[in-house]
Amino acid sequence: MTTLRAFTCDDLFKFNNINLDPLTETYGIPFYLQYLAHWPEFFIVAEAPGGELMGYIMGKAEGSVAREEWHGHVTALSVAPEFRRLGLAAKLMEMLEEISERKGGFFVDLFVRVSNQVAVNMYKQLGYSVYRTVIEYYSASNGEPDEDAYDMRKALSSDTEKKSIVPIPHPVRPEDIE
Amino acid sequence: MAARGHVQDPNDRRLRPIYDYLDNGNNKMAIQQADKLLKKHKDLHCAKVLKAIGLQRTGKQDEAFSLAQEVATLEPTDDNSLQALTILYREMHHPELVTKLYEAAVKKVPLSEEYHSHLFMAYARVGEYKKMQQAGMALYKIVPKNPYYFWSVMSLVMQAISAQDEKLAQTMFLPLAERMVEKMVKEEKIEAEAEVQLYFMILERLGKCVEALDVVRGPLGEKLTSELRSRENKCMMMYQRLQLWPECNALSYKLLLKNPDDWQFYLSYFDSLFHLMDKSWSQPEEGEHCVEGPVQTTVAEAVKFVVDRMEEQDKKESRPLRGPYLACLELIHRLRQRGCPDEKELGDPLELMVQFFGKFGDKPCCITDLKIYLHLLPPEQRSQFKNRLGELVPLGEAGEDGFGFPGDTKALQRHLCVCQLSRALGLQHALDTEGKLRLITELKAHYHHGLQFGKSCLKTELQFSDMYCLMAAHVYIDLWTETGDENMLWQCLGMLEEGLSFSPSNAQFKLLLLLLFCRLGAFQPVVDLYSSLDAKHVQHDTIGYLLTRYAGSLGQFAAASQSCNFSLRFFHSNQKDTSEYIIQAYKYGAFEKIPEFIAFRTRLNQSLHFAQVRTERMLLDLYTEADVTLSLEESVKAMGVCPEEDDIPWDNMRDNRDLTVLVSWDPKDRELTEEHRRLSLEEESVWLKVRALTLRLLASLALLGHAPSPWNSDKTNENGISAKSSTLQTLLSQLDQTLETAAQITEKHTQYPFLGPPSSRLASALSSGSCHCQASALQLSLTLRELETTGLEMLSRCKGEVLEMKDGRLKTQPSLLETLVFFVETVCVVLWVASYSANVLRPLKSSLQKKKKKKKDSSTAMPVVMCGFQEWTGSLHGVVTQALDHVKGQEASLTALKLAALTLEEGYSQTQEECGFTRAAMDKVQTSYLGSLQEMGDLLRKRADSLKSLKI
Repeated sequence: MTTLRAFTCDDLFKFNNINLDPLTETYGIPFYLQYLAHWPEFFIVAEAPGGELMGYIMGKAEGSVAREEWHGHVTALSVAPEFRRLGLAAKLMEMLEEISERKGGFFVDLFVRVSNQVAVNMYKQLGYSVYRTVIEYYSASNGEPDEDAYDMRKALSSDTEKKSIVPIPHPVRPEDIE
Repeated sequence: MAARGHVQDPNDRRLRPIYDYLDNGNNKMAIQQADKLLKKHKDLHCAKVLKAIGLQRTGKQDEAFSLAQEVATLEPTDDNSLQALTILYREMHHPELVTKLYEAAVKKVPLSEEYHSHLFMAYARVGEYKKMQQAGMALYKIVPKNPYYFWSVMSLVMQAISAQDEKLAQTMFLPLAERMVEKMVKEEKIEAEAEVQLYFMILERLGKCVEALDVVRGPLGEKLTSELRSRENKCMMMYQRLQLWPECNALSYKLLLKNPDDWQFYLSYFDSLFHLMDKSWSQPEEGEHCVEGPVQTTVAEAVKFVVDRMEEQDKKESRPLRGPYLACLELIHRLRQRGCPDEKELGDPLELMVQFFGKFGDKPCCITDLKIYLHLLPPEQRSQFKNRLGELVPLGEAGEDGFGFPGDTKALQRHLCVCQLSRALGLQHALDTEGKLRLITELKAHYHHGLQFGKSCLKTELQFSDMYCLMAAHVYIDLWTETGDENMLWQCLGMLEEGLSFSPSNAQFKLLLLLLFCRLGAFQPVVDLYSSLDAKHVQHDTIGYLLTRYAGSLGQFAAASQSCNFSLRFFHSNQKDTSEYIIQAYKYGAFEKIPEFIAFRTRLNQSLHFAQVRTERMLLDLYTEADVTLSLEESVKAMGVCPEEDDIPWDNMRDNRDLTVLVSWDPKDRELTEEHRRLSLEEESVWLKVRALTLRLLASLALLGHAPSPWNSDKTNENGISAKSSTLQTLLSQLDQTLETAAQITEKHTQYPFLGPPSSRLASALSSGSCHCQASALQLSLTLRELETTGLEMLSRCKGEVLEMKDGRLKTQPSLLETLVFFVETVCVVLWVASYSANVLRPLKSSLQKKKKKKKDSSTAMPVVMCGFQEWTGSLHGVVTQALDHVKGQEASLTALKLAALTLEEGYSQTQEECGFTRAAMDKVQTSYLGSLQEMGDLLRKRADSLKSLKI
């Protein structure tokens, strides 16, 4: 039981229950506005009947069409602790994939902390696989060291041969990814 | 020459190192490099601008600005200079200068698409909608690309939105925008989805909902593909605005069949159903069916629809959806509101909720879901409900302590949910002290038992049993607030600290600890707790109040200042940041987002918290710095506080605080209400007003205090002073009024829920007497100022010759004598008051001096009031001395007046004899005047002597 709708600026005042989670980054206003200005359809929020925000997904479309790298990207996905275990993240991912399909993307990708096993497993269940490891993608904070990321991908229907998800065996550095 | 296009512009190559230095933050080197380059190439303007950027970034604003203006007046048309100037002006917060720059550039290069488009964006940055409209069209004429045309259309819409006069919007801007789009539609030139979106936006704002619907449903609507369900959402919006309830109903029905979990459509389904029933709408027998499909018009149909949806879920093997079950409760709620007996068809709410718990009791959101519908249970069923739920919780055998524990996390979640529900039903609050203590023991036992399930949890994860710990803390707080037993509070703190040790990233533990420490008056632990929440950016506005409400008031001035700074930095960047993305929204055709971004910017600018931290930060600076490192006047000037200016949007204040950030499962009658929110905002606003007025009064005082003395200044200065003291007067009477309002507010003794907004500092400021003491002190400054000026004014009215010879005639001004008498009398009164003040202050001073001697601290300054008194008696002395001088002067000139020299004109009417008598009379007057002057002079002298005894 969820209302799924476009994320608006006013939601920034209400998302504390989601963003006070230690793994959810609160970005500067420009970051959110950039997504709202450029890819508003990729920014979806779920709202409970009581008006509480349950979770949101923020993403974009990018990459070269000619090189078959045009794809949907998940920038942020977070669900408030009390609304977990409802399959909400899966639903939001499904929506982002559908929009990416419509835009003719070849795949959807995302980055996730290698330590975030809960998330990695969830993405695997949703059909994502590790495409490559990005070394020290997450910079140090709160006394924790730099952390590696998995670049996970799922092929969309345009990529009939699933070429886009063939894993790269060697880890790459953040400056080498596009 | 053929290869010219490939050769890099040599200037680019020369400038490159400067760009690199700037990019790397090496501003000094950038300036040096620019100077070097300018020696060789005097006309390389861009180097000057880059140097200016370096200067700006090293704090040399004035130099930077004049350098930039040197280049700007040349009206450059090279890309490098233009872009560099744009960057510089933006950093200087002068975006309006960028418009001038490109206005000049397009004049010189009228066919440049690039410069015209920069000009449009420059206007967009400062919100010059009219000029944007023209710039967009000019651009379209040069390069007929659709986006340019629609930029112009959108600028019309923005003129409509920003128009003060709604009529102008409806009759001029929007219709014009509509016609512009229609023209493109007719010519079949519509290309992009954004253009259709904009068309829809215009029609919607014009209230042309039918036309808007036609667009969405028609061929143009086919372009609306990016957003999921874009067409359906827009149709639904229009159906609701047009009150087309059949369509609304049918569409909701259709969408619910597709996704029976989408809550918004249950709401529109029920809304439309009841509207149709109220209108006794019936299917037309013939003719066209509703375009959206079948319409449902009876409760029976709705009941069946909801029951069918539930059955659908019942059959599913995994992951049933919650929507249909909650829709059932929602329908009962609505039927009950309407007094409709059919709710029985859906079943007993108690059974339905038990059923819901059976299905979803192991989900953490079960409490949030059911909480909304607990009012469907009559009070006498509450305990029964709790017991029924208890039966559905598998717990192990009870141990010695009488508690049975869950065997896995699902059972734990169920048990927890029952606890949460019983709290929400008020059953926990109904317990007596012993009952509550036993409840705490039970919750603690479950908390500790549950920790075993989370042994492998990462530091970033929550423990499964965390919420038991939080609830135990809530019960402790209940006990503390009810009984005043502080021991409960200490145990509560211990409980939460323990919880945090097992679950170091639990934000709720941190928030509650933070609140409790603040209530205890201990701010130091709060700093670390808050920083571990990692609250950033917009969160400064929404939860920053937790910090700023207490830091200053608990005497942690450094922390208070720092937390104000965090918030201020966020707010100050808002203006610049949002402008950039308004421009981006034009570029990407996200037209709907443009008014949204502007409203967002306004919401931040009008934030209560913003105004609070702005004011508090300056007061803090004054309290800690003024007359310590800088004088009050210098501090005020450095802050740029202008007493006449009020920059707080009192009438449009936005309360952006997140007042429900702390989780609560309290029953409805203890929850935060809209009325609480309203009262809290009111209270905070009045307190803010007191603070803002205090700040402005202090600024006013500072500027007044250091004005040149009025008796040796020219006329203009006197005016300046009176203007300043009239500001002081106005502000003081505003403060008085505000304090009256404040007193009324505090009389209400509003109590907020414990987990809701903290009370403002208003009540304690009033009861401590600080408000009134400060107001009186400030009033005193005004009185003194008045005393001084009116005293001098009186004296100046005494001036003039009481007796003089003019044009061979004798002129008297006896009123001057009378005025002088009033002056002397007044001096007496003032001196008596001064002597009273001295008597009050003298013991105060000597006790201070004793202390000083004890401490041997020679640096302790005398309190302001002492200095103020000394200043006052000083100026009194000045006035009296002036008056004495005046009297002396009068005496002298009177004595010097030789009446004998006066040739009384004989022959008119007077004989010589008569003239003799006149002379005698004149002599008498002269002597008498002299006598009066002498007497008043004597008195004044004696009074001046008594001034000496006023030393304290």
